[in-house]
Amino acid sequence: MNKATTIKALIAEDEPILSITLQRMLGKLWPELELSSIVENGIEAVQAALSELPDVLFLDIKMPGKTGLEVAQELAEEWPSQRPFPMIVYVTAYDEFAVQAFETCAADYVLKPISEERLNKTMKRLQEHFQARTKTQNDNQQPETEIERVIAQLRQLHQIQLPNSAENISQTTEKLSVIRAAVGNNIRLIPIEDVIYFEATDKYINVVTAEHSSLIRSSLRDLLPQLDNSLFWQIHRSTVVNIKQVQMAHKDDTGKITLKLKHSDDKLSVSRIYAHLFKQM
Amino acid sequence: MRVVQQMRNQWQQLYQALPDCLLKNIVSEIPSLLIINLFCTILVTYVMRNGSSLFENWVFSNAIGSCCYLLIRTSSYFLWRSAPPNMFVFYLLCILLAPIGYIIGSALGALIFSFPINKVLHFQSSFISAFVAMTSLVSVIAAWSFWKKIQIAELISTAEKEKARTASIERQAMQAQLQLLQAQIEPHMLFNTLANLQGLIAIDPERAQHMLAQLIVYLRATLSSSRAENICLKQEFTLIQAYLDLLAIRMGKRLRYTLHLPSELEQEKVPPMLLQPLVENAIKHGLEPKVEGGTISISASKQHDQLVLVVSDTGLGLAFNSQENNIIDTDHPHVGNANIRERLLALFGEQAKFSLQPNNPEGAVATITLPVLASNLSM
Repeated sequence: MNKATTIKALIAEDEPILSITLQRMLGKLWPELELSSIVENGIEAVQAALSELPDVLFLDIKMPGKTGLEVAQELAEEWPSQRPFPMIVYVTAYDEFAVQAFETCAADYVLKPISEERLNKTMKRLQEHFQARTKTQNDNQQPETEIERVIAQLRQLHQIQLPNSAENISQTTEKLSVIRAAVGNNIRLIPIEDVIYFEATDKYINVVTAEHSSLIRSSLRDLLPQLDNSLFWQIHRSTVVNIKQVQMAHKDDTGKITLKLKHSDDKLSVSRIYAHLFKQM
Repeated sequence: MRVVQQMRNQWQQLYQALPDCLLKNIVSEIPSLLIINLFCTILVTYVMRNGSSLFENWVFSNAIGSCCYLLIRTSSYFLWRSAPPNMFVFYLLCILLAPIGYIIGSALGALIFSFPINKVLHFQSSFISAFVAMTSLVSVIAAWSFWKKIQIAELISTAEKEKARTASIERQAMQAQLQLLQAQIEPHMLFNTLANLQGLIAIDPERAQHMLAQLIVYLRATLSSSRAENICLKQEFTLIQAYLDLLAIRMGKRLRYTLHLPSELEQEKVPPMLLQPLVENAIKHGLEPKVEGGTISISASKQHDQLVLVVSDTGLGLAFNSQENNIIDTDHPHVGNANIRERLLALFGEQAKFSLQPNNPEGAVATITLPVLASNLSM
């Protein structure tokens, strides 16, 4: 019982002074809040969140490694289902577009430089949320509703497509017709329609066709705008599939969706954020 | 006096309500026409002494004058519209149309007084040579005055057009400058710096002071160099130093930087906003998104009478724009780089070069090669 009342928070902020400032402000406004992990980039944020399982996340939007939104998405996919999903507060510097996006999907956010008044309001709202949660101890519903809310928000934010910089908007909308992948000293030319799926790893993307798979040095973030989005669907933070190569989508008892492919034995799992793409018509 | 003033006002209102066309021109010219007609009446009555009364002559003069005027005005309108008329043809027109106007006007006068038309015309014909001469003369004078008027109107409209054009050019230039400024001082950068300042004031006031001083140097240098045509390298390096200092405070141990400007190159002139954007790009695309951060080095040197400016970093590198392992067309590199190439081409033609290459073992190197500006040679 007592344990449930200590609320743990994670702060992910790459600029050290801003991190300290936020810690100090939180210490003043909400002294009971336990700052269980302070991290400086997106990758550490995911690791720390999954091991500490905090109740509140303060995520900077622009961080090295992963953006705040990418962290939220990954956590929504990986979060243990028996634990309530954390409340997320996004922290961002002046960016009209981002602010508009957050307003649209009713996500909690604070602007840098952080106004104490604004942060206090957010804290009050969070406190109310946690009080309500401890009262209704039959928690079976609670963890679901929060994660559903975050997933709905992320879906909306994906549609708005938060630009990390102005260049992203003006980037070429020309679509790729051929993928050029280096294989030793040779360049393999892969017609785009032959690709069954793309799978992102740390620094590379694995391009899988019926015959072979090849690595290209890129990220899905850069690749996606160059793909025809009616043909290539993102189904997971690290997977983009050629929808014509999908034989069927299988839903298991827990609601998890897996794709069976026509020309490959690989099975692709669909994350909850993209599950709505495979609902029946 | 007040009545006159009132009438004038009413007249002006009426005049302004008229559509801007031939009719408006005619209305504006009625007063001068009436004066000319009155002058003719006096001339005919007292100088030529044709034996008719002053009133009769006034009516006839007005009829003849108006006819001549309307004939000339409308025909010139149909010939030239609003374009300036050919002067010679115009005068010829006046001389040809004056007798016709004379005859029609006389007939009109006869109708007004119910005189038999043929008798009047016969009576008028005995004075025909004198009348024709006079009408022609009057027509020519009137025509000349209208002609002048048209010319003046035309001059005014040209001047107005020129003024509007200059204003629009000025506006465009100002807008361009504003955009340049906005591009320079990114709101994101400004607010992040302010957020750091806000934090530092509470935890380390001394460093906050230093940061504020650097922000001031950065803002001032950016503002003044965005207005200048050329700035010296020393100024540009001061700006870059302030910028990097701000970022080093923000990024903490993730950012290290070195600046190298030989003292003999301090006064070399370069176009503003050339080196600084490269530094910003290296930070934005190379070092800021890299988890472990890295080092940025900026240097200037002189090689074979050319100025070589190098910005190198150990950041994420060109990744998808490098020659190999790429899937994205190399013809479309960063937008910012295209701007730099365009500016260099515009300023120096083929004499300047810009290159962006992978750094060894990681990161990117941007190099600008400029001809030494002429103004430097004289120094």
